[in-house]
Amino acid sequence: MAAAAQSGLGAEELALLEKSLGLQKGNKYGVQGERKTPVLQTNNGPSLIGFITIAAHLVKQAKKEQLLGSTAEEKAVVQQWLEYRVTRVDGCSSKEDTRIILKDLNTYLEDKVYLAGNSFTLADILMYYGLHPIMADLTVQEKEKYLNVSRWFNHIQHYPEAGHMCLIVNFSLKFCDLFKSCRMDLDFSANMYNRIRYSF
Amino acid sequence: MAVAGTLYTYPENWRAFKALIAAQYSGAKIKVLSSPPHFHFGQTNKTPEFLKKFPVGKVPAFEGDDGFCVFESNAIAYYVSNDELRGATKETAAEIVQWVNFADSDIVPPASTWVFPTLGIMHYNKQATEFAKEEVKRVLGILDSHLKTQTFLVGERISLADITVVCTLLWLYKQVLEPAFRQPYVNVNRWFVTCLNQPQFKAVLGDVKLCEKMAQFDAKKFAENQPKKDTPKKEKPAKEEKKQEKKEEKKPAPEEELDECDQALAAEPKSKDPFAHLPKSPFVMDEFKRKYSNEDTLTVALPHFWEHFDKEGWSIWYAEYRFPEELTQTFMSCNLITGMFQRLDKLRKNAFASVILFGTNNDSSISGVWVFRGQELAFPLSPDWQVDYESYTWRKLDSDSEECKILVKEYFMWEGDFKHVGKSFNQGKIFK
Ligand SMILES: N[C@@H](CCC(=O)N[C@@H](CS)C(=O)NCC(=O)O)C(=O)O
Repeated sequence: MAAAAQSGLGAEELALLEKSLGLQKGNKYGVQGERKTPVLQTNNGPSLIGFITIAAHLVKQAKKEQLLGSTAEEKAVVQQWLEYRVTRVDGCSSKEDTRIILKDLNTYLEDKVYLAGNSFTLADILMYYGLHPIMADLTVQEKEKYLNVSRWFNHIQHYPEAGHMCLIVNFSLKFCDLFKSCRMDLDFSANMYNRIRYSF
Repeated sequence: MAVAGTLYTYPENWRAFKALIAAQYSGAKIKVLSSPPHFHFGQTNKTPEFLKKFPVGKVPAFEGDDGFCVFESNAIAYYVSNDELRGATKETAAEIVQWVNFADSDIVPPASTWVFPTLGIMHYNKQATEFAKEEVKRVLGILDSHLKTQTFLVGERISLADITVVCTLLWLYKQVLEPAFRQPYVNVNRWFVTCLNQPQFKAVLGDVKLCEKMAQFDAKKFAENQPKKDTPKKEKPAKEEKKQEKKEEKKPAPEEELDECDQALAAEPKSKDPFAHLPKSPFVMDEFKRKYSNEDTLTVALPHFWEHFDKEGWSIWYAEYRFPEELTQTFMSCNLITGMFQRLDKLRKNAFASVILFGTNNDSSISGVWVFRGQELAFPLSPDWQVDYESYTWRKLDSDSEECKILVKEYFMWEGDFKHVGKSFNQGKIFK
């Protein structure tokens, strides 16, 4: 499911990020190649290719450089999580993959409030976007099992810069369809209640 | 309009930190007055002028540039905050007050009981300390389960609740919560460290080093201070009546623990004048003190001193602190000196001293020149005075000697070579 998100969602996520960062004029995004890599056509410069590149560019455009990390180390850790996001999270294709990601993340977040350093960064935003479909599918028991991830997730969604994922869901038909089909894989009635209670 | 004003406190007061951190968030402009000549803890806050503004006479105390005055650290922090720190809805505001009060009622008492003896500012009582440790565990447990699902104490942003509870836990984390002790409270640790690392906290607290090894009460240093089982112990006057009450006192009663300031005040000797038996002396201490306070030391006070000093009725002593290797933070060293002065309050009519802290953090020494009524040290006369006496070496000076003249001059003036010390002048305190 998350793997599929990569294909269509990149551009829509960037549009959401742009909006959440308070950027006014809407950039035009395209996709390129088999893997539907997002492309941003800048006004007078070259076009920017790739999800991470464009996201970092938007942050700078919004003059919110602190979201990229303040110290050299923090910047590196932000980059690390952005890579993790596009390789591991977006590349995640099985339940087992999901489980490993959640487990690792849960351990990592045991003694941390944010993914990088001691403040909210782009790493939190993009991981939040990336994990949204996964988190939406967790049962209450699973949320409790991955308590540190759940707490982090809940905290991040309260930042205006994180935007509201439901926007994506609303304007991404593809994503909604996908989401529905995922649901059908599961015991629908048992999980329905939890999902409704969840922030959607 | 942003709040602006003056905060009276003593240096490094965790209670004052609450307001200062809140101000970092709100943009309130606070000027801190914490040391002489502007603010002299123990003196300025007892003046009629101060008491008129702040009847309790305690610090921190805040005076707005517009004349608005408020005391009690939590009230001050509230006043200098912004709406986000205070809680935007009735519910969040109530939860914030809940944690602020929890800090005062459930954390401050056991934290003081446990930490203050390790700082050398309160007597040690094993039972009370053990009880306090259990209380601290209970409190950390409560915080830990709350912070399992919550990033910050209230809502999803830092509020006065976090600022207050972090400041209240500060000494615990710095002095005694060694890694093994704090390890079970992962959620508290994560939250605490994250708060400390916010730029607004850092601006006030600097880099906080968490405890590596649980600080212990220094038995050697304070063994003498422990009241013997059968001698009257230092306690609040209200409690020293019946035998029965005394027995009850043996069980740990943390809510009755004295805080660092009560401690100093409660320790005042209650004995009768121990100098009554001495013959009259022509040297009038008060007159010298007036000269010293109001006129130039070199040209007026010193000549006056040597002209009128009566070596029959008075004696001059050199005192040096015996455990300089324990002087880590200069503000704590200063507290040591001012604490001693407070405990010796009853001696003021019959003594004068200039005590100086030399050097810097972790490389300090304390020494001073004392002038006492009589030829003997007065300390042994009252158990309450022995607290600090034992921590110093005392050497009587020959008032006719060149050495004595130099020491008196340098110590009274806070100026000179201080050849015997080998560290530079840091700050001085006058007992008068
Ligand atoms: N609850 C008060 C306590 C203030 C307090 O106890 N201040 C002490 C200093 S630690 C003081 O000024 N004592 C002076 C005295 O009692 O004379 C607050 O939080 O502001």
